[in-house]
Amino acid sequence: MFFHIVLERNMQLHPRYFGRNLRDHLVTKLMKDVEGTCSGRHGFVVAITGIESVGKGLIRDGTGFVTFPVKYQCIVFRPFKGEILEAVVTMVNKMGFFAEAGPVQMFVSNHLIPDDMEFQSGDVPNYTTSDGSVKIQKDSEVRLKIIGTRVDATEIFCIGTIKDDFLGVINDPATI
Amino acid sequence: MREDSSDAADDFGAILAAALESDSEEDIAVLDSKRVRMCKEEENAKTDESQSSASLGFSESNSDISKDKACSHHGEFMKGLCVVCGEMHPMPSSGVAFRYIHPRRARDTEKLLSQKKLYLILDLDHTLLNSTPLSLMTHEEYLKAREDSLQDVSKGSLFVLPHMHIATKLRPFVRTFLEEASAMFEMYIYTMGARPYALEMANLLDPDKKYFDARVISRDDGTQRHQKGLDVILGEESAVLVLDDTENAWTKHKDNLILMERYHYFSSSCRQFGFTCKSHSQLEHDESKPDGALATAISVLNQLHSTFFAVFEAEPSVADVRQVLKSLQKGILKGCRLVFSRVFPTKFPVESHPVWRMAEQLGATCSERMEQTVTHVVAMDAGTGKSRWAVKEKKFLVNPGWVEACYYGWKRQPEDRYCIEQIMKNTWVSEEPHSIS
Repeated sequence: MFFHIVLERNMQLHPRYFGRNLRDHLVTKLMKDVEGTCSGRHGFVVAITGIESVGKGLIRDGTGFVTFPVKYQCIVFRPFKGEILEAVVTMVNKMGFFAEAGPVQMFVSNHLIPDDMEFQSGDVPNYTTSDGSVKIQKDSEVRLKIIGTRVDATEIFCIGTIKDDFLGVINDPATI
Repeated sequence: MREDSSDAADDFGAILAAALESDSEEDIAVLDSKRVRMCKEEENAKTDESQSSASLGFSESNSDISKDKACSHHGEFMKGLCVVCGEMHPMPSSGVAFRYIHPRRARDTEKLLSQKKLYLILDLDHTLLNSTPLSLMTHEEYLKAREDSLQDVSKGSLFVLPHMHIATKLRPFVRTFLEEASAMFEMYIYTMGARPYALEMANLLDPDKKYFDARVISRDDGTQRHQKGLDVILGEESAVLVLDDTENAWTKHKDNLILMERYHYFSSSCRQFGFTCKSHSQLEHDESKPDGALATAISVLNQLHSTFFAVFEAEPSVADVRQVLKSLQKGILKGCRLVFSRVFPTKFPVESHPVWRMAEQLGATCSERMEQTVTHVVAMDAGTGKSRWAVKEKKFLVNPGWVEACYYGWKRQPEDRYCIEQIMKNTWVSEEPHSIS
């Protein structure tokens, strides 16, 4: 789920940037450093929307670097247990399939795929119902429910299920 | 339909509110990627000393993990989460940091030796049992009808575990073996399988937890990926014996290893090793109890145990189970002098051939020339010069299977059961060469 929150970060700036465009440099550096990263508490930082305030800079002893505390607004994405998401299937194998919803990768095990769907190996491995009406393969879109999450320093991983009502394939690439 | 969706939204709203307000980490687990698997408090090390048995303290009783809704299907884990319920992988809650193990090891070994016990490490697959995925069982459905109930684990030998999608057959004689061995050894299970599998098998073999208790080591607990090591065992190397069917897993501790014949009950197991011969289930009989590998093993262990403690009484510092093992092996074919014919490819460095090395390990001397001191000719063909010389000089003429049989049987087998004609009739099937490298 997406949130729009205010975060703070201490940015260190090299003296070469001191001058007219100091603030711009600060903002650019912030964006480069923070966008695309993931923190345990907030999730993935998707984009910075604005700078709320830039505090007074503190010169570090010994080096000439200056540290600015910057408060900024950003959009973050954090998956929750129990949340329902749409995701794109990236890989299918006999253990289950992997899907991605933005920056977060998820795995749905074959235990949590409805029993009437069987794995078919081959050129394009897929899960398909006995009458062939529903197929899950690479690039299919599925709606799944997250049943467990795990957060590392740099990525979030989730386990999902499509065994409940209203879950499963939304969009079949084969029919497009 | 409308109502349904609004209900769902409310629930989700509740989840949202709860998650955003509280700081509880119950649905996220932040992992320290550098966490050492075996790091732990030292208090447990101190309390463990008061326990009677010298166990590594993997016991679940020390666990303070409150989410004890033990997912019964904790079979597979993907990136640390159970694939069925999404819970974190329940890591062993207690363990001993490696740097504290060395002094403990010495103390532990002393204690055990004073109780007249040694350490015994047992492998699972193909040594004590044979497992097969349910999907690979063939017309052995007939066996399923004879499967023993999982309710009373102490009686049966063939079990089907649906939640792990496997069936397991215990090797004949295994219960007697464990009973007798437990009087002489403190036993560990060490398998290359995953931890949940190891625990299930331990439960089948030892439902009352009197043989192994918590001393179950799986591949997740080892320090190296494809090797087993004695570094995770709380015992000095001079007091540890290993019973395993795979030599390559123990390259650093070959001197402690007693190699066992592989137990192939299911046909999938034979196919896995590339054999076309029939497995026990297909032949519809089983390894014989009094004659099987485990019966041999227990008698060898008995011998080793008594010899070791005889030495130990006399001179404790010199007693080393590896020496005892080596000398026992060297006594099997002592005095035999072997010559080989058509066993090795030409221009092959014969001293490194498995059969040569096996024979030397058994105490025989191997030679390349026919002399009067030769006692046995080992050949694949009865028509060669050396074979005919053997018959003429009344020497023993055997096929290489005899050497293997002596090695696995731990005694000098009767030579007349390993004659060359058996090769002609294809009744002798060798195990694939265990490379002794």
